[in-house]
Amino acid sequence: MDIVLCLKQVPDVDDIKWTKENNLDRSLMLSKLNPCDEFAIETAVKLKQALKDVSITAISMGPENAKEVLNYAAAKGADRAILLSDKAFAASDTLVTSKILASAIKKFIPNFSLVLTGQMAQDGDTAQVPVSLAQYLDIPDVTCASDIVCESANISVVQKTGSIMNFWEINMSCLVALNDECKEKTFPKINDYIRAQSLNIEVYGLDDIGLDKNEVGIIGSPTRVYRAFRPENKKNTAEISSDFAKFMFEQINKVKK
Amino acid sequence: MNKIIVYCERDDINTLRNVSYELLSKARSLKNEAKRLIKDYDIEIEAISIGASLDEDCIKKAYASGADKFTFIKDDSLNDFCQTIYSRVFVEYFNTSPSDIILFPATVKGRILAPRITTLLNTGLVADCIELEIILKDDDIKLASTRPTFGAQLMATIISKSSPQCATVRENVFKAEFDFNNCGKYFEYLPCRYEETRMKIIKTVQNKICNDVDFSSAKIIFAGGYGLYDGTSNYYEKLKKIAENTCSKYGATRKVVDFNLAPSNLQIGQTGVSVEPELYVAFGISGAIQHIMGMKNSKKIIAVNTDSNAQIFQYSDYKIVADAREIIDELYDLVL
Ligand SMILES: Cc1cc2nc3c(=O)[nH]c(=O)nc-3n(C[C@H](O)[C@H](O)[C@H](O)COP(=O)(O)OP(=O)(O)OC[C@H]3O[C@@H](n4cnc5c(N)ncnc54)[C@H](O)[C@@H]3O)c2cc1C
Repeated sequence: MDIVLCLKQVPDVDDIKWTKENNLDRSLMLSKLNPCDEFAIETAVKLKQALKDVSITAISMGPENAKEVLNYAAAKGADRAILLSDKAFAASDTLVTSKILASAIKKFIPNFSLVLTGQMAQDGDTAQVPVSLAQYLDIPDVTCASDIVCESANISVVQKTGSIMNFWEINMSCLVALNDECKEKTFPKINDYIRAQSLNIEVYGLDDIGLDKNEVGIIGSPTRVYRAFRPENKKNTAEISSDFAKFMFEQINKVKK
Repeated sequence: MNKIIVYCERDDINTLRNVSYELLSKARSLKNEAKRLIKDYDIEIEAISIGASLDEDCIKKAYASGADKFTFIKDDSLNDFCQTIYSRVFVEYFNTSPSDIILFPATVKGRILAPRITTLLNTGLVADCIELEIILKDDDIKLASTRPTFGAQLMATIISKSSPQCATVRENVFKAEFDFNNCGKYFEYLPCRYEETRMKIIKTVQNKICNDVDFSSAKIIFAGGYGLYDGTSNYYEKLKKIAENTCSKYGATRKVVDFNLAPSNLQIGQTGVSVEPELYVAFGISGAIQHIMGMKNSKKIIAVNTDSNAQIFQYSDYKIVADAREIIDELYDLVL
């Protein structure tokens, strides 16, 4: 069984650096694996341990240094790693990113049974790529997933949305987007990293996946940023420095009157 | 003819989710804005819903909130939501009667459905918007959609160069406004039948069953965040007592609900209820944008947090950097 594991390297949103003009200064920001994707990796590895003949292909679109997340996935158990990297891919929006991923999956992992992704990326936070990718691949999808059990050609997926829990049964091939609920995170050991180093990361560009340069990147993307700004504080905030409870009590009585 | 489509999500009892009326009301103001920018520029607003049957009052409410036309894509097989089928019937209908703009609710279902539809239509989609504007660009009317990114630390306004221009829009950010003198035309569209044999729900479990709490009449709301957690639910109980003794209401953040420290009907925010009391007191709440969306219209906001950089302070009239539990202890003694 071939599992495709889609991963994204994202800037650390807890460590945002701004330029003087109030733009993000990406050069100063650290990159990390998108948090939801950690759970996707854990799930893939769990399935590999439970079932026979599972092969995991980790795939990521990004610059050269996105190899880091692929190396990490390899250390955790991925058997194959693919980096989709090309200057022409830069600034692709969710539609185009999904199209690039779908083209690559069809070409390089044509016999896939299961595509695993994180529910959303922490930087963009759109949750659109998994759904759009499923549409391009013409397969069903379950998003907001918290657990997967896999038997023969069917998989069962637990989906959690708000206070509702759905139990799905889906035929493969399908896509499952996993939410950020990675409770038992396991850490790769030194030996795992050494083993991962021997894995050759396959790097493919625009020509390899058979798309035209007008279909991808900033040219091919229908949406673009028109303006970006930091949310400003319009409030005149007064800081209270002492007698907090008393202050609150007064405010309560003011309203009650 | 220029047209805005609003996709109206139906719930289990064949009524429309309130966000449908919020989006129709917003569409109406976009229509007026376009008219202001280009004289005689007229936009038709079409509400579209999918299902087997629909409550009639909802259709009236859709007209009252702005719809000029209501199209119900109807078939017995469409009772249960299924993204692969709903997207196909929607696109089938859309191709017979296209529009320039489609607005979807950024609900769980909306966010599963909309990307499928826009992928089929090979067009762009802006996710989870909190503001929509009509702008004039190259002498043309464009939709500009604003959304928070980078954990809400950056706002991005996005435009789309492909048509239709599409966005998913959060619940509870726009106000539904009704004018029951407004009427529209009703159509039914009978689509082809599609079958989805590849996936099915085998069981659904509702975690907690709860009744609605009426926050609308509350003048004061005390809201507890995860910062009150000390390993027990003591401070949530105390806050509840304080609320009861001051004729106020008690609410909570989603994190508090997720950790079973409060029932889910007390959740305030984007996926809970929206409140607008005279006074909102936030104890140990970080101020995540999803929470802010549900309380930012409160007349006066007091926030208590140990972290002086907490985001909640950006939305507060009064900032108190202190241990919220100590304040609750003192306040408890004052009011009880
Ligand atoms: C799609 C989606 C929808 C969501 N919808 C909602 C929603 O409707 N409503 C909602 O609330 N959330 C919602 N959330 C969750 C939201 O993103 C936050 O995770 C949540 O609001 C955080 O809750 P909190 O502030 O209680 O907890 P935390 O973020 O953990 O904040 C706790 C705060 O308490 C402070 N603190 C700690 N100890 C003390 C102390 N002793 N005294 C004072 N302060 C202290 C800390 O400094 C911190 O700021 C949603 C999230 C998503 C992804």
